[in-house]
Amino acid sequence: MPVILEAREIEKTYRMGKVLVLALKKVTLEVEQGEFVAIFGPSGSGKSTLLHVLGGLDRPEKGEVCIDGINLSTLNDARLAEVRLRKIGFVFQFFNLLPRLTALRNVELPLTLADVSEKESMQKATDMLELVGLKNRVNHKPTELSGGEQQRVAIARALINDPKILLADEPTGNLDTTTGWEIVRLLKRLNEEKGQTFVVVTHDQSVAETADRMIYLKDGVIQSMKENRGSVHP
Amino acid sequence: MAWMNMKQRRFRTSLTTLGVVIGVTAIIGLASLGEGFRVIIRNEMEQGFELNVLTVMSGGLLTGVGSYFTDEDVKNISQMPGVTLATSIIQKSVGKLYNNSKNSTALVLLGVNYTEFVQIYPERLAVEHGIWPQSIKNDTSVIGYNVEHPTEGDIFANSGENVTVSMSFTSPLTGRYFQNYTFNLVGSLSKSGAAGFINFDDTILIPIDTARKLYNTTNSDMIFVQLANPSYSESVAQAISDRFGGEGEVRVLVPAAFAEQVETILSMVQIFLSAIASIALLVAGLGIMNIMTVSVLERTREIGILKAIGAKSRTVLTMFLAEAALIGLLGGVIGVPLGYGLAQAMGQFLFRVSAQVTPRRSIITGTETHPITAVTPILSLQWAVGAILFAVGISVIFGWYPARKAARLNPVEALRYE
Repeated sequence: MPVILEAREIEKTYRMGKVLVLALKKVTLEVEQGEFVAIFGPSGSGKSTLLHVLGGLDRPEKGEVCIDGINLSTLNDARLAEVRLRKIGFVFQFFNLLPRLTALRNVELPLTLADVSEKESMQKATDMLELVGLKNRVNHKPTELSGGEQQRVAIARALINDPKILLADEPTGNLDTTTGWEIVRLLKRLNEEKGQTFVVVTHDQSVAETADRMIYLKDGVIQSMKENRGSVHP
Repeated sequence: MAWMNMKQRRFRTSLTTLGVVIGVTAIIGLASLGEGFRVIIRNEMEQGFELNVLTVMSGGLLTGVGSYFTDEDVKNISQMPGVTLATSIIQKSVGKLYNNSKNSTALVLLGVNYTEFVQIYPERLAVEHGIWPQSIKNDTSVIGYNVEHPTEGDIFANSGENVTVSMSFTSPLTGRYFQNYTFNLVGSLSKSGAAGFINFDDTILIPIDTARKLYNTTNSDMIFVQLANPSYSESVAQAISDRFGGEGEVRVLVPAAFAEQVETILSMVQIFLSAIASIALLVAGLGIMNIMTVSVLERTREIGILKAIGAKSRTVLTMFLAEAALIGLLGGVIGVPLGYGLAQAMGQFLFRVSAQVTPRRSIITGTETHPITAVTPILSLQWAVGAILFAVGISVIFGWYPARKAARLNPVEALRYE
């Protein structure tokens, strides 16, 4: 399978007051198309920072990130935004939906930014919401939806532009266990049925163990990589 | 999207827009009122000021010493290019007028050529009682409105009656003295107002030949020069001045030049007033800046989300600027008609003063001139469009800083913002 995401010797420092903290130290990894990868580690291990760097939300001080053959370090901010729009989907711990927009409008947002026609984007967004099981919640606002439902909307939004890779930052972190597992199952289903590539950051080992591959990160350094059977916990 | 955001914050947006509305209203109100006022003054000047009539007087030290202009001078001026008529005038001061037991006062006695004089002021001169003299005798006279009515409602003399004028003379030996002469009144003038230095309402007109005989001269004190149109003013004034040996010897009163000055002053006043009104719009701009800065803070996380899912900085910038521009546009579009309405109301109330009640009817043309009772504000398309563009411009300029702040937010930090 072709490599979708490639990170080479990423270094990223943080400024905490007057002290510079090295958040990522020479992180190198590859993700193949169709893979479901979990980045797992305790809080403060730098996994969210890594995800931001991998997704072009943040720039590393050293090293390179290539997505679908595009070296992100060579891009200016506008081109980088374009890559985020068309090649990457993001799912966050706190859902990050726009509170004043309906589920449908939230899902349509990336299409609007990509100048897709109103009619087409509405059709696509409706289909996508159906895919994540929210056919009946299309016109609800985020405050009218449960946490699990909100995360489904966020997943639909992340998938709407057919991204090469979907990056999820603690997607179950703000949900109760049952709902969390529902979300994990949804991600796995999308991975298996659509061949969607995933990188999921989590501090929950049981969630991480559902992935094809588990990358254990601690103190900004990759400690180990482990292939899993990839089955979802019952 | 900008529109959607504004709808969500309806109250706040309304207040901000109201600021712009007030600014634009003030600008348009003052500008259109000023424009209406200017047009009225221009018309008044054209109708009531006879822009095509020059008054030639002896200049400087010679004033009042004696009659200066010969008939030859007058003839020469009347032949200058652009001149349609030049008429001699004797101008003297007078005192009391008597008619049996009644008396009245005239300030100025004018010796005129009746036939020519009425042609110089075809629009201005109108007869109230009697007729304008046709067959002229030595003692044919016409009096002005104030002379005919020493007090409002009172009539000094009817046409056909004889009036005695106490005329003022100056003698090198005895100084100033008065002597009575009697004239036959054939008519009195409607309110005519002033042209140049002379207020016709306070005059008594007598034939110029009689005046010359009484004052023992063959010359004239003044020449009224009528031009084919006002654009000849400068060249004719120059030619006249040259004929009498340059400036200082004679004075040529050019109403067109005066009118031009007045118009310039009025434009300046109009611009000045609008500039003051613009301050209101600047304040509104500060309001927009304030509201948008707060809005950017409030929406930091939202901006972070937008950027994370692929919105460019430019898109965010455009979004916020569009919001500011929309406020400006909305305020402008509401403010323009509001300002015009305000100007209408003010025009009605403020200028219903000192209105002449009766219209004047011209002796020659028979046209009626109606007095002004209100200023009709005039709103030109340029001002309307200009004010709206100005409002949008101010809004965008003041919205620029917060919008740029929003656009430059780092997505990761913005997402972390609570």
